[in-house]
Amino acid sequence: MYKYSDTDKKIIASRVKQFENQVNRRLEGKLTEEEFKPLRLMNGLYLQLHAYMLRVAIPYGELSSKQLRKLAFIADKYDRGYGHFTTRQNIQFNWPKLPDVPEILNELSLVEMHAIQTSGNCIRNISSDHLAGLTINEIEDPRPWCEIIRKWSTFHPEFSFLPRKFKIAVIGCDEDRAAMLVHDIGIRIIKRHCQVGFEIFVGGGQGRTPIIAKKIKNFLPKKDILNYLEAILTTYNQEGRRDNIYKARIKILVQELGIERFKSLVEENFSKLSNKELEIDKKSIEEIFQYFRLPPLKSSSDKIPLEDNQEYKNWIKQNVIPHKIKGFSIVQISLKEPKKPPGDATSNQMKALAKFSEDFSFSEIRVTHEQNLVLPHVPNKELFNLWSQLKKENLATPNLGLITDTICCPGMDYCALATARSIPISQKISNHFNNYCKQKEIGNLKIKISGCINACGHHHVGNIGILGLDRRGEEFYQITLGGSAKEDAAIGEIVGPSFSETDLIDAIEKILNTYKKHKKNKGEDFLSVFRRIGIKEFKKDLYDNFTEKS
Amino acid sequence: MVKKLQGEAFLLSANELRTGKVVFFTKKGWSSSTREAIKIKADEINKYEEISIREEKKCKIVSAKFVELDDAGNIKTLRDKIRNCGITIKI
Ligand code: HEM
Ligand code: SF4
Repeated sequence: MYKYSDTDKKIIASRVKQFENQVNRRLEGKLTEEEFKPLRLMNGLYLQLHAYMLRVAIPYGELSSKQLRKLAFIADKYDRGYGHFTTRQNIQFNWPKLPDVPEILNELSLVEMHAIQTSGNCIRNISSDHLAGLTINEIEDPRPWCEIIRKWSTFHPEFSFLPRKFKIAVIGCDEDRAAMLVHDIGIRIIKRHCQVGFEIFVGGGQGRTPIIAKKIKNFLPKKDILNYLEAILTTYNQEGRRDNIYKARIKILVQELGIERFKSLVEENFSKLSNKELEIDKKSIEEIFQYFRLPPLKSSSDKIPLEDNQEYKNWIKQNVIPHKIKGFSIVQISLKEPKKPPGDATSNQMKALAKFSEDFSFSEIRVTHEQNLVLPHVPNKELFNLWSQLKKENLATPNLGLITDTICCPGMDYCALATARSIPISQKISNHFNNYCKQKEIGNLKIKISGCINACGHHHVGNIGILGLDRRGEEFYQITLGGSAKEDAAIGEIVGPSFSETDLIDAIEKILNTYKKHKKNKGEDFLSVFRRIGIKEFKKDLYDNFTEKS
Repeated sequence: MVKKLQGEAFLLSANELRTGKVVFFTKKGWSSSTREAIKIKADEINKYEEISIREEKKCKIVSAKFVELDDAGNIKTLRDKIRNCGITIKI
């Protein structure tokens, strides 16, 4: 795991001091809200419906047990005993008080964490594959590259006031577990003629104009990564629109210019970059890679314990995957326990997980963009033991990748921008499909729910996407089908008129019935069937007897 | 703040600057309960807007807004109801 250098430590500590000063000036009336707002946003502090909200960065989703324990401490001391893990691998605290925030930031700095660049029109927290460094088919670990990009982008003076926020994801294999293609820049590590480099995608995003990123570079040598990113960002900074917030993201620029024209501008900027300091040499790359070495895992022929316990067996089947080192497993912890808001973890659960990670996983925890957690290096022989302990903490829900493993934004329960609630919808789904066998029968299926068109809950790329709308003061839900956030990324199609909260579960059941009717074999999942038969069949079944006349 | 307002009656609401807590304007100042909140008629909006600006300057509140009431005098929109009553889910 990356360790702060002395310079990193100094920067973070001085930033805390700076913000403390700003908060004091605000409380004394020396700064107006208008002046203070951009300053607090630069430190991850929002004002929500009924409280402040602090978003803390978890770079590329990696946490140590010490850090997780600190998050639990903050949840207990300054908040209401829980935190919310987000689709960008961050954590949000929903109830901090303004005078406490500098102290919270100070606590975070003690464990090398901060809230910088979790908001505002800058390069946000770099996200990555939560299985980075753990799987056999990975070309190279993407985390060191995230760290290299993080170092370059944090406080980059030119890119602190971009036309709009900017999100980058890096992955290290063909499989995309980081929704890389709906990021402003997506980077995939690839191998060409025995040389490892990058494939670069640009202009993806969600929000009110969802777009899948387009490829801008087939192969970029490693040494050029920062120069090339600098060229893209410079082009965006120069050409991106600042006159209209809805047209300000890079995706709109790429769309308006066309990828070829955009690419030629980037290439021109790239060729002009005389800043050789940004070229990275082998030695500095190696230095960063040192931080991300696997812990000392000794391969073994240890098998997963067989126990005569159905719940345990379900959990093994659903939540546990093989580690690249024989004798170890990757344990995925579902934060989609029935009746709980997706992505929420209580401070007690955080503390328990910190302890489990120390006992079973070399003190390491990962956060996934699907709002779950991972214990990355668990010896097979400990799996039953771990499961028994997780179960006591309600952390052993066996639903990874199934219908109740929903992604969900905070929606109108918290968010000032929401047009409808989203958490109660995910809870309804979770209650309705609570049975494991029923879920297994439906198979792999991603439901993603957002409380407004900003799409923080990724509804555009859900196999079934649900978008909360306000229709004359009432909550309605629009359904999209066929979206995907993976390597075959696609934006879902709107199935038709929206549904009231009462009719929504019934609509989902009908959609599932259409799927079951057309499924050719047991292994054909929802998305494959959708792609084979198209949206019409679903519409036909869904709206035949439907009386809503909208 | 005034331009977009429709409706006949409102409460003046805001978040407390220090805590972020939702508060309503009463004769005795800010309160977290709507019980004693002053009912504001459409033609009094300007007056209360000035009050809200003054209160913001005193560093008591932030993000002041008018909350629309329905004919029965209850808070009209779901968002404002949630603002007043808190989250609708169990944590
Ligand atoms: C304080 C609450 C939040 C506010 C005010 C907020 C605001 C926004 C806005 C305005 C957008 C649209 C950006 C655009 O289209 O240019 C957006 C997108 C997004 N937000 Fe949030 N958000 C909030 C909470 C969250 C949470 C809790 C998550 C994670 C669960 C999240 C993750 C995302 C993601 C992944 C996107 C779509 C990706 C993209 O930027 O294109 N946000 N958010
Ligand atoms: S999608 Fe909308 S409602 Fe949900 S968190 Fe984002 S801005 Fe808020």
